[in-house]
Amino acid sequence: MSDEDVRTRLAALRVQYAERLGNDLQTLIAQARELAARQRSVEPAALETLRQGLHRIAGSAGTFGYPALGQEAREMELWVQTVLETAVAPTAPMLSALGDRLCDSYRRLDTQAPTLAEPNAGYPPGGEERPIRVGVMGADACGALEQALSGFGYACRRSATPDEWREWQPDVAVIDTASLSAASWQACTAVVPGARRILLSADGSFDARLQAVRDGADGFFTHPVDVPALERRLRHLVSQPQQDPYRVLIVDDDTELAEHFRLTLKAAAGIESRVIEHPSDVLRGLREFVPDLVLIDINMPGCSGPELARLIRFDDDWLRIPLIYLSAESDAQRQAQALAQAGDDFLVKPISDVALTAAVTARAQRSRQLSQALARDGLTGLIKHPAIKELIEIEQSRTQRSGAEACVVMIDIDCFKSINDTYGHGTGDYVIRLLANLLRQRLRRVDHIGRYGGEEFVAVLPACSLDNAREAIERIRESFAQLECVAGEAVFHVTFSAGVASTLDWTDAGALLEAADRAMYEAKQGGRNQVRVARDATPQT
Amino acid sequence: MQALHRVLHVEDDPSIQEVARIALEVVGGMQVASCDDGQSALEKAAEWQPDLILLDVMMPGIDGPTTLARLREQEATREIPVIFMTAKVQPNEIEHYRSIGGLDVVIKPFDPMTLASQLREIWERKDER
Repeated sequence: MSDEDVRTRLAALRVQYAERLGNDLQTLIAQARELAARQRSVEPAALETLRQGLHRIAGSAGTFGYPALGQEAREMELWVQTVLETAVAPTAPMLSALGDRLCDSYRRLDTQAPTLAEPNAGYPPGGEERPIRVGVMGADACGALEQALSGFGYACRRSATPDEWREWQPDVAVIDTASLSAASWQACTAVVPGARRILLSADGSFDARLQAVRDGADGFFTHPVDVPALERRLRHLVSQPQQDPYRVLIVDDDTELAEHFRLTLKAAAGIESRVIEHPSDVLRGLREFVPDLVLIDINMPGCSGPELARLIRFDDDWLRIPLIYLSAESDAQRQAQALAQAGDDFLVKPISDVALTAAVTARAQRSRQLSQALARDGLTGLIKHPAIKELIEIEQSRTQRSGAEACVVMIDIDCFKSINDTYGHGTGDYVIRLLANLLRQRLRRVDHIGRYGGEEFVAVLPACSLDNAREAIERIRESFAQLECVAGEAVFHVTFSAGVASTLDWTDAGALLEAADRAMYEAKQGGRNQVRVARDATPQT
Repeated sequence: MQALHRVLHVEDDPSIQEVARIALEVVGGMQVASCDDGQSALEKAAEWQPDLILLDVMMPGIDGPTTLARLREQEATREIPVIFMTAKVQPNEIEHYRSIGGLDVVIKPFDPMTLASQLREIWERKDER
């Protein structure tokens, strides 16, 4: 049985599981609500049932593609467990809050496509990812903000009461604290605890910012609001949870200790690690595993930690990766000597699990941020030209191995020069970001989207047929043409032309991209605002 | 060292049972038997003599650690290595499951494509412990 068959069987199981998950969540919601409604105290047996139900979901949801839900269930399970262990009777509001949280999970189920390592299906018919929901609360001036964010492709709604917030279930809450009392907006955010918060204020002082931090803000802006900056922050906030786990390469000849570190990092922070026992395997490990950080034992047979660190630093590709020594060496001077050679920091063994996890997570996060900033285009947050080209090559060779089909799409905004000339470069940038956002929202998580040049974009769509790719891009083209762009008083529409090519027709990455480019050029020739498929173009001989 | 071939999977969740079966049988080429609870695992293990038991920690009825203790009491199952599987992931818990005689701990959710190789890795290291 091939990998593909296995994946097909797993996909079928996933469908069954999704159904069961919905039922299980409903049962748990009913149980929590029933307990909350009771006048008398809650008996431990009832809580135990609830805990077992949550435990089942915590253990299984991730395997079937719902890792976030699994994590939530785990948190709720721990809460119930704490209640059981402390033998303090839970109050009705506590249980009712649990019911609400379960309800949120259940609602999100409809909108959460399972996240799969390897997608099998193309785009479901008419299927588009749910747009990011933004709730806006504040004075009338917020109407303009709502409009501007809608223009960027977010689903935006002004909401003023807890009921409206509960119904809207926004991913991000934008709150104008200048025009509201703290009590009124906090009553609303309390019903959507998972939503990220951006607070707007008339006061930009240190104290106001500190207050925002204490109010749980994830972003803070002062009036008049810099809308593009706010949009950037918003995008950043909602894209965070999609990150892959951090990856750590552990080089240590004490395999048992290294294995303990690996398990600890996995268990405490979901960090993926690979253990390398022999220093000579480190370059292969780096290439294959592409870690965010390397932990290096300082004393290893045949090659010391600092020697190995210098050796890694020979290669420019690994300059960005922090190299952290793990050592029993507590002598500050000798630590300094090691750091002077190469390496970024020291962790002294024995180290507690908590300290190890905290140190590694913080550095891996920083390293990931840096890598992303380097690989991403500043204006759009999309992948830069060299990186997207590399992804096309990776995808191309992957499809050659697996026989699956992937598509490459070249997109170019029509008459972009005249937009710049008529409305100025600021508006041109705004149009580019508008399209970038739309692509991000409409394509699947597994798709790669890059900014190829000025007003040119490339998308790589793994496990996607030519027809599905064309249809998906066609729908995006229609939506984009309908979006209203605003420049001062003027309202105008912009279109794009696109070309699509399949890995089945072109087996070389360069030729594939050229084919998509040719098809896009044909779309331009054919009158713009259209999508052409590369098999219409002259095929390669 | 004898290769890992026969695995008894003890798990009360039927969906997880099914995925693990595909993961171990189809991907890993192993022979798998499944039990829904600790009690039936005690009987099945004695009769089928698996190379390894993959044991869920939290099950209704007898839980995983208790099942392990009873396996160790039975002559026929005393020597069969056990790997725990659990969604509980505090580092001290992992140590705890090892200290009570588990070979190692596999954390849920697991990746069906790599579960078999994960078990084999643990299996191959078992004599070093």
